[in-house]
Amino acid sequence: MKLEVVSRSGQTIATLDVNPDAPVSELKKKFYGLKRKYYPSRQRFTLPLKPGEKRGTVLDDSKSLNDYGLGDGGKVEFKDLGPQIGYSTVFFWEYFGPLAVYPLFFFFPKYLYPHLEAPKQHHLVQKLAVAYWSFHYAKRIIETFTVHKFGHATMPIFNLFKNCAYYWGYAAYVSYFVNHPKYTPPNEKISLACLGLALLMQLGNLRSHIILSNLRKPGEKDYKIPRGFLFNYVTCANYTFEIWGWLLYSAAVQSIPAYLFAITGALQMTQWAIAKHKRLVKTFDGKDGRPKYPRRWIIFPPFL
Amino acid sequence: MRISQAYLVLYNALQACGWAVVLATLLYGILRKDLPEQLYAAAGPLTNVVQGASLLETVHAAIGLVPSSPVMSLMQWMGRSNVLFLILGPIAQLHASWWSVLMLATWALAEAIRYPQYALSSSGACPAWLTWLRYTMFIPLYPVGVVAEMGLMMAALPDLAVRKPYSLELPNPYNWAFSYHRFIQVVLALYPFLWWQLYSSLLRARSKKLALQPPKAPNKSQ
Repeated sequence: MKLEVVSRSGQTIATLDVNPDAPVSELKKKFYGLKRKYYPSRQRFTLPLKPGEKRGTVLDDSKSLNDYGLGDGGKVEFKDLGPQIGYSTVFFWEYFGPLAVYPLFFFFPKYLYPHLEAPKQHHLVQKLAVAYWSFHYAKRIIETFTVHKFGHATMPIFNLFKNCAYYWGYAAYVSYFVNHPKYTPPNEKISLACLGLALLMQLGNLRSHIILSNLRKPGEKDYKIPRGFLFNYVTCANYTFEIWGWLLYSAAVQSIPAYLFAITGALQMTQWAIAKHKRLVKTFDGKDGRPKYPRRWIIFPPFL
Repeated sequence: MRISQAYLVLYNALQACGWAVVLATLLYGILRKDLPEQLYAAAGPLTNVVQGASLLETVHAAIGLVPSSPVMSLMQWMGRSNVLFLILGPIAQLHASWWSVLMLATWALAEAIRYPQYALSSSGACPAWLTWLRYTMFIPLYPVGVVAEMGLMMAALPDLAVRKPYSLELPNPYNWAFSYHRFIQVVLALYPFLWWQLYSSLLRARSKKLALQPPKAPNKSQ
């Protein structure tokens, strides 16, 4: 059958000959054959807007064209998502920065704090802090390649620069002050206790990631209700542990930049958590044999 | 009219009056050939009040009373308030600067148009010419305003370097250092980009609000 590909302003870009029961990925391959600039991961197709819709239905790669009711002469709208980059590539580089940058201030004070007399030995808190920080980001990189299953394969390439600026920038900002020659260590026992608890939070976060990763079997694309461990009480239990981890790290090192980093991360995670929770509540409405999403905290009991 | 709508009309009307008085005070003083410090003494206090009160707009956005983003509203408020309260206010030499007059005048002129337009829109009766004015006058006023703000900040730098206000030095129990002088240098570097984001979004809003026609396609039969 023939499908008309239009731009968002309504102009016809191309007419493609496709099989009605072919998957959307086939449509993308054919479009790529015609327009070599737009490789498949850069293409987004939507059905024309129905009355009352703000955004057209996005065509999923795995579904077939007739699943969307597309027949001969049907129209699909094309959007260029811009140059794309793999999720794991972005994750690797954004986490690599903190792993490399933070220890620099610990190991090379002579170069990073010129004109300042560095004490002969770091305080115990500073040593444990660099170990904790490094462990955290090493864990993140390992998880990227062994645990996480990404819902999308790619993201716009601009995100690489935006995310790296955030992670690398904050790593330098926090590390500069925690490893500063004029650093004032807080009570050692309290710091040790906080870091110990923070480590437990990291393990909680790891377990949560593994649970999330096992929700979908290979090939499955539907939403699932997370269960077990803290998920029985909190939708985004993984974020809960992550936020606690950074709050405890901040309490251990007693540095404002660390708290700023924890708060900024918490705000972003909260935005994501609210969206995810809403999505799950909407999907699992208890109708047509679907389970009803249980009453749960969103991200951070007892507040949200 | 619902109570929330009436409240918005009242708020915008009060702001409109406030800024109109600021504008009139400045114009009167300029015509009398007053010096900048006299102009600041006359218009400054009321400007502080209306600018301080405009923090309410962030609250309005946060509770959904208006469709704006509370974050954007807060950022804009902080930008102006920083210049007005933290820089211009405390530094007496700047009261005598023409940058300060230029800044207050462009703000006042823009606001004396914007708030009446909001007030009348909220009550559903805004004349087309006022909407046109609100979405057109910003085009020259915003660039002049941002230059004036940057000029003031640059003029303030020497004083900030010496006085070091709102700053924190190491060592301290917060394990943090903050140099307001350095902060303003960074703000100055970022200002053109931040300002451009606001200006370009207003230009886009202008196309929509004034329902400008897209350029017509060439007619083949001609």
